[in-house]
Amino acid sequence: MSSGTPLDRRPVKLLIVDDSNIVRRRIERSQQFDDLQVVGTAANGFEALELARRTDPDLVTMDLTMPQMDGIECITQLVKLKPALRILVISALADKATAVEAMERGANGFLNKPFSDRQLNEAIAELMY
Amino acid sequence: MQSSGADRVRRLLTAAAGALLAALMALVLIVGFRLATRIRANVALLQRASLLETYPSALSQQLTALRERLGTLEYTGGVHQELADSVAGFDRNLAALERRPGVDRPVLRAAGRLWKAYTPVLAPVLAYSGEPYSDTDFGSSLSVSGKIYYTQVRRAELFAQSSAPALHRRLAALSAALQKRTSSAASRLRLLLSVGVLAVLLLGAAAAYLQLARSRGERAARAAEEQTRDILHTVREGLFLLDADYRIGTVWSQALTHLFGREDFAGLSFEELLRDKVSPATLATATKYIKLLWGERAHENLMKSINPLGQLEVILDNGRGGKETHYLQFNFHRVVGPQGVKHVLCTVADITSNVMLARELHEAQESAHSQIDMMVSMLHSDPLQVGGFLDTAAAGLKHVNAILKEPARSHAEFSRKLTGLARELHSIKGEASALNLMSIAQRVHHLEDMVEELKGKSELTGNDFLPVVLKLDELLAHLRAVREVILRLSTLKDGPPSPDGTLSSPILRLRGAERASGAEELAATLQGLARKLAEDHGKPFTLSLEGLEAVPVAYLPTVKDCLIQMLRNAAVHGIEPDAVRRAGSKSATGLVRVQFRRLESGCELVFEDDGAGLSPETLKEAAVRKQLLTEEQAAELDNRSALALIFKPGFSTRTEVSMDAGRGTGMDVVAKAVYALGGRIGVSTHPGRFTRFKIALPAPSQTAVA
Repeated sequence: MSSGTPLDRRPVKLLIVDDSNIVRRRIERSQQFDDLQVVGTAANGFEALELARRTDPDLVTMDLTMPQMDGIECITQLVKLKPALRILVISALADKATAVEAMERGANGFLNKPFSDRQLNEAIAELMY
Repeated sequence: MQSSGADRVRRLLTAAAGALLAALMALVLIVGFRLATRIRANVALLQRASLLETYPSALSQQLTALRERLGTLEYTGGVHQELADSVAGFDRNLAALERRPGVDRPVLRAAGRLWKAYTPVLAPVLAYSGEPYSDTDFGSSLSVSGKIYYTQVRRAELFAQSSAPALHRRLAALSAALQKRTSSAASRLRLLLSVGVLAVLLLGAAAAYLQLARSRGERAARAAEEQTRDILHTVREGLFLLDADYRIGTVWSQALTHLFGREDFAGLSFEELLRDKVSPATLATATKYIKLLWGERAHENLMKSINPLGQLEVILDNGRGGKETHYLQFNFHRVVGPQGVKHVLCTVADITSNVMLARELHEAQESAHSQIDMMVSMLHSDPLQVGGFLDTAAAGLKHVNAILKEPARSHAEFSRKLTGLARELHSIKGEASALNLMSIAQRVHHLEDMVEELKGKSELTGNDFLPVVLKLDELLAHLRAVREVILRLSTLKDGPPSPDGTLSSPILRLRGAERASGAEELAATLQGLARKLAEDHGKPFTLSLEGLEAVPVAYLPTVKDCLIQMLRNAAVHGIEPDAVRRAGSKSATGLVRVQFRRLESGCELVFEDDGAGLSPETLKEAAVRKQLLTEEQAAELDNRSALALIFKPGFSTRTEVSMDAGRGTGMDVVAKAVYALGGRIGVSTHPGRFTRFKIALPAPSQTAVA
């Protein structure tokens, strides 16, 4: 799956944003790419922005319903901060309108909760490789 | 599609061949024209040369004629003039030939030299202008000049006779050369003409082939067009292309007409297509989605997974003047060209029947699940308790029916009707969930939703209640099913049921030692509800019950209703989440105490929780929000009266509705029940510490006890 990657195989830096501790750990453990490196986990939009500034991630997994700053707002700000950032929305919201909204704001992929490890890895692969 | 490259090559080849042939034709025409011109010029030269050929003999003859005339003393003027004309003609024609191309120069020059030799002998003859005859008495004779003239003519005649054959030979050679050139040019022209004819034939053949190919192409195009039309007329999905301006193209399938009840699709924007059919929010989402389809970020699979129009509920005309709800499924496929997305192909299908079927299946499945849930909960609950509940519920629903049958005219009356309905349903739901009969509780909750929706309407008519009546029938059917299950379960436990199959049959009523007293039954119900509430809301609390055995039988139903309601309120509003409790240095487990005492004057029921307490300010705000009070009224209210707000109908501090509280029905039901028994209810509270309700009831009358 990771074959055919660009020559500069610098690890992809991943930032996990989700208000649920369980989901954060779930994502951390399920990733199977050797060249994926979790650079931070955030529980809300403010933390996510702060971490994004500090750790300069390449990929963010983003929950939508979070306290304080929600995912949609956070995506908007992140895209402003780092236009090249790839954002994978991982949400339990079955509402398609929210998904469309997230895509419009600059998200690159969408994954529904609950998800399997395979689904997560495929979604990441589609975005990054 | 595939053959377009080959087509283009063929077209190019035929065009090149045509151009080549046309060029060839032009060349043939130009060369032919030049050859013809040359032949004409040659023919003119030939004529001249032939004319020249006649001159030498003509000159000889003229000179002979002149000499003979001089000899016979005849008139010589005419012949002399002819001779002069011939000499001038020869000079002129010779000069004319000299200037022409294509004339054999050496021969011409040789002829010229020979002709020049004539000049010395001819010149004196031509120069003669005297009178050649002299008349005497003896008759006429040659004059002196005439004799000289005769001698000169004789000399010229002899010269001409000797020179003429040589000159004639030269001139004949000239003619022959010209003749040869002309005939060679003519044969070349013939050849050229053959080539031209061949080229014309080829051109004609090529044109015919092209025409044939084109008409074959046109036939194929017509056939393809017809097939496309047939497809678009027959296909059951709506098909159309959207361009980059999100407008529908000129080609679309006939099914769209049935789906949208219009014909003017070409040029219509996607937004206009959906505008009156869906909510503005859905329309906005759909428009955003369509825009995303043109973007680079959109993977086909991703876009498919977030398609907001996969099951779109639309209101369509049913063709009989009415409206119908349909479900449409839109699918989008991007048509990508070398410059990115060219079009988006949309397919629309009416999936109403699929949706309905899926819904029915889901409902059937739900119902099967709830049946199983019900069985399981039955196994865990006391059939007597359930039986009691079913009796209460049946009574309650009868009441609901009665409320529904009440005639009402004004909006206020309808409103009252709804409030009554809401209360009845709420208490049934409370009991059902206390007994863990979730299938019943959910149905009642659904009914409550409907009632709530009706409350929000500005205009109410009797017809608005019809869906509620239908749902109520369904609930009653469900209750019957529950009875059935109870009966079967009791059969399993106790043997065959009684013939009439009712719950009040001795089988359920007489279960000997197992039979619980009313108080025990109440205690079990309350404890069960407490456990469930603690679990549902994640707020562990202990329920302590004291003196319930002292509750007079007549008060049991009321006490039970009130306690269920207050218990729910305590779990939802009173007891705090354990984090908050710990922060307030309280024990993590909450405590709810219920005490019932018989006093001399009657009875007293105290209900107390060690939760957050009531805040008069919060209550006032809620009352203002619910428009039970104006801001001014709220400001003037003292704390005691503020607390009493919770007994007002329609009051609730929760903004979101859960199964247990928040509908604004609760303490008003309790208060109403207490008042109905002639009792009083009071509340006291301490923020952060407790809330305490005291209910005073009069001593039960003797008749009620029985």
